[in-house]
Amino acid sequence: MTAHDWGDLAADAAADAILDEALAAADGHCQFADVRLIEAEELRLYTQLGADPDERLEHNLGVGVRVLVDGTWGFAARPVQDGRDAAAAAHQALATARASIGVSKPIDLAPMPAVSGRYETAVQIDPFAVDAAVRQQLLEEVLANAGRPAQVVSAQAGVNAKRQHRHLANSEGSRQHQHFVETGAGLMANASGHGDVQRRSYPNSFHGNTAAAGWEFVTTLDLADQAFRVGEEAVALLTAPTAPAGHADVVIGAQQVSLQIHESAGHALELDRILGDEANYAGTSFISVDDIGTLQYGSPAVTITSDPTIPGTRGSFAFDDEGTPARRTALIDRGLVAATLSNRDAAGRSGQQLTGAARSDGWAYLPVCFATHVYLEPGSGSLDELLQRLGDGYFIEDNRSWSIDNRRWNFQFGTEVAYEVRGGKRGRLLKNFSYGGITPQFWGSVEAVAGPEELRIFGYPCGKGEPKQWGFLSHAAAPMLVRNLRIGVA
Amino acid sequence: MKTSEPAVPLAPERAQELVAEAVRACPADAVEVTLLGRRGEYTRFAGDRIHQPQDIDELTVSIKAVVNGHGARAATSRLDRVGDTARAAAGLAAARAATADRAGGLTVAEPATAGELADPPPLLWYDDTAGFDAAARVQLAGQAMRSAAAAGGRANGMIGRAITQIAVATSTGITRHAVATEANGSATFTIGDGTGHWIDLSRSADRLGVRGALDAALGRALRSRGRIPMPDGEFTVVLGPEAAGELVEFLPDFGFAGDLAAAGVGLVAQRPGARIGSPLITVADDALADVGLPMTFDFEGTAKRRVPFLAGGVVGGAVTDLATAVALDPVGHSTGHAHIAREEVPAPVAANVVMQPGRLTEAELIAGVERGVYVERFWYTRVVDRQAGTITGVSRDACFLIEDGALGQPVDTGRFTQSVLDFLGTVDGVGDTVRSQPVMNVWNGSVSAPALRGHGFRFGARPAAPQESA
Repeated sequence: MTAHDWGDLAADAAADAILDEALAAADGHCQFADVRLIEAEELRLYTQLGADPDERLEHNLGVGVRVLVDGTWGFAARPVQDGRDAAAAAHQALATARASIGVSKPIDLAPMPAVSGRYETAVQIDPFAVDAAVRQQLLEEVLANAGRPAQVVSAQAGVNAKRQHRHLANSEGSRQHQHFVETGAGLMANASGHGDVQRRSYPNSFHGNTAAAGWEFVTTLDLADQAFRVGEEAVALLTAPTAPAGHADVVIGAQQVSLQIHESAGHALELDRILGDEANYAGTSFISVDDIGTLQYGSPAVTITSDPTIPGTRGSFAFDDEGTPARRTALIDRGLVAATLSNRDAAGRSGQQLTGAARSDGWAYLPVCFATHVYLEPGSGSLDELLQRLGDGYFIEDNRSWSIDNRRWNFQFGTEVAYEVRGGKRGRLLKNFSYGGITPQFWGSVEAVAGPEELRIFGYPCGKGEPKQWGFLSHAAAPMLVRNLRIGVA
Repeated sequence: MKTSEPAVPLAPERAQELVAEAVRACPADAVEVTLLGRRGEYTRFAGDRIHQPQDIDELTVSIKAVVNGHGARAATSRLDRVGDTARAAAGLAAARAATADRAGGLTVAEPATAGELADPPPLLWYDDTAGFDAAARVQLAGQAMRSAAAAGGRANGMIGRAITQIAVATSTGITRHAVATEANGSATFTIGDGTGHWIDLSRSADRLGVRGALDAALGRALRSRGRIPMPDGEFTVVLGPEAAGELVEFLPDFGFAGDLAAAGVGLVAQRPGARIGSPLITVADDALADVGLPMTFDFEGTAKRRVPFLAGGVVGGAVTDLATAVALDPVGHSTGHAHIAREEVPAPVAANVVMQPGRLTEAELIAGVERGVYVERFWYTRVVDRQAGTITGVSRDACFLIEDGALGQPVDTGRFTQSVLDFLGTVDGVGDTVRSQPVMNVWNGSVSAPALRGHGFRFGARPAAPQESA
């Protein structure tokens, strides 16, 4: 019995039968079809100070069929109740495509050889097998520790786990079976007093942190001990001086760098966005197809890589959600734009490299370009050494607010904490730190990145598409030193 | 308009039977079962392609089991597994109760306090939306793309319809069921450096007036070519309905949500009854209004009540669910705003926020400005300071300087950091036409607002004080 032995679609043969029904229904009526059959189950336990815990176990199983008819896409998805649903979805997808023929400019999907295979997340401790009392006890301790200071007025802590059987087949002969498990946890505390409300969080202010792993990931977070610090720092921020405005040299902590990567590199490099497919909702990009290979995006210290073959992250997989095998790709190579996050449609239309970044939120949504595991390559040295190199300035960490324009050009971020740094040493705690800038100028001001020993990985959810779907991905970063940053902009 | 009526996700009788069966199958002290269904059709287009036409059916049955005041939920999309799922929920709740050292406080709604559904109820079903089929939507998308191309640009957007369904049953005897139509659309036209945007939603497709709205957005894109940079500084602004709606959408974050009020955070907790907005500002969560996405009850089966946020600028109340209603007042009753968002704790959510319109046309609002800025739309807005009600974001699309009471030069995207509450206090003109837009991550979520005119809206970064040099 492994963490993947659960549900109706653990056996690849069972999935194959349903995939075959959908493909057979589409066969002869379209030039291309792919079928994604997915069973997912999520376990979440949330606790809040002064409130009853909320525990939920959510299961779904469904099929999404995508077809290309006379160069026009169609897509339909539905829950699978019995064997008829897969074929019904295929018929509906064909009807959806036919409705657009003659209005939509046809496309030719770039051919791809059939690729088949199997993948499983490595799991030490099945999170679904962990006793409910263990989850509850952990979170009760976390809340008690975070809520110890009287000025902490609200706090919440949660653990989450998700397991998925993701099966894909297409009319080109590919057949892939991937079995994922992810586990995560997070904590947030709000303190109120002195006419102010301040927040601290751990390990990530945005939905905690989630990894492709089992319960062992939660145990490494040391949540209960960290909770003391989180509560105390939330209270300390109430009386901390407000961070100043002006220009300064700043070391940005790994969590904040990871969000900076997400917003200003990951999204900006999505090829569907670059081509305008997302102009109405998620936005466009300041990067054009012509910039690839020529645009100086950052300093030579900046190399950003997409690599879903690295195990253990929320962006790890063997095949993306339209069947492209995972591969390592340098997106930004020593400051130069080198490649994009692409899917077959966008790569085919633009002549760009196919990098395997088609991702979807389960069976009900179309695969679109999302980040995979996209990270800033580490440099060298410790955080302390980076602060020494900084000299005088600020060390900031943990995102508090974020905003970026629709071209991923002009951004403004705030962090939960900032520390004065004088002579390479951390000093006073400051609150309400904010900074802003223009994406290539910002990355062009990166002088150094700390070494692999400071690298941290963060799993994120992300939104895109109409109807909006969630993408699940990851970023890794070490702290980095940025010179002459505009601060105090909010 | 051709007619191809979509079916309700699950036959109403079957939906109600199913939730009742789940209640009976769940061995717990109290049980609440919620069925959510959605049959959505989305015609998404970009440039010269309908690149993402999608028909998506979703159906989930969620069971909340309560044992000795401790609860758990289990959900499934498999209708033949509802009984098993109900028993799983009971098992989780029992396990929690077994390890607890005292009784918990979770309950399910009681008929005596869940309220009667509005009589007459808001109209949820429109036949014109049921007839807003793929052929009709493709025709509109094609027209938008051709018009934009003829003008030398491109159109990108989505036109859709959906049938949503909700059924609730509780072990206390509450049974509810509703189906609703929804029509929605949005588009961005890009002509040179000019862009124009449109977004709207309604229970009725005909109310959207999609063809005219698309033409108008194209006109704004043409009008906004030749942009100059947005100047930094404080301005009198006229916010179009979409921009105004985006500001209003933040009100729950500033204390009009029961969880915040119960924690002592925000306006309802700290400044009840205070005047914080202009007397022209009246905003409520009003699920019974015939605008946006009205609905009659929430996930817990509680009948929805109108909750005034600002009445003539005066702080009103907070939306609540069962838990936060009791946290605020031991004998309090939910306002019917229970919600569970993905990856978030259950919390009461304002789902149909409506700002009351005024009497001025947008042109009249602009005519009253000697020098200022017109903002069509905001983008990527985020809370910076909950206490002060400050958000940041950028303006975008068809934005213009206002000069001598008329639209002047178009301006490019500009970053702003602004207290929503301060701005609402300066409003001296409210438009006569309300437009709606979806609220992300909220089931059946909508915000509707008219255009607004106000003062002291700051674009650009905060100026550094002399002592602040870093």
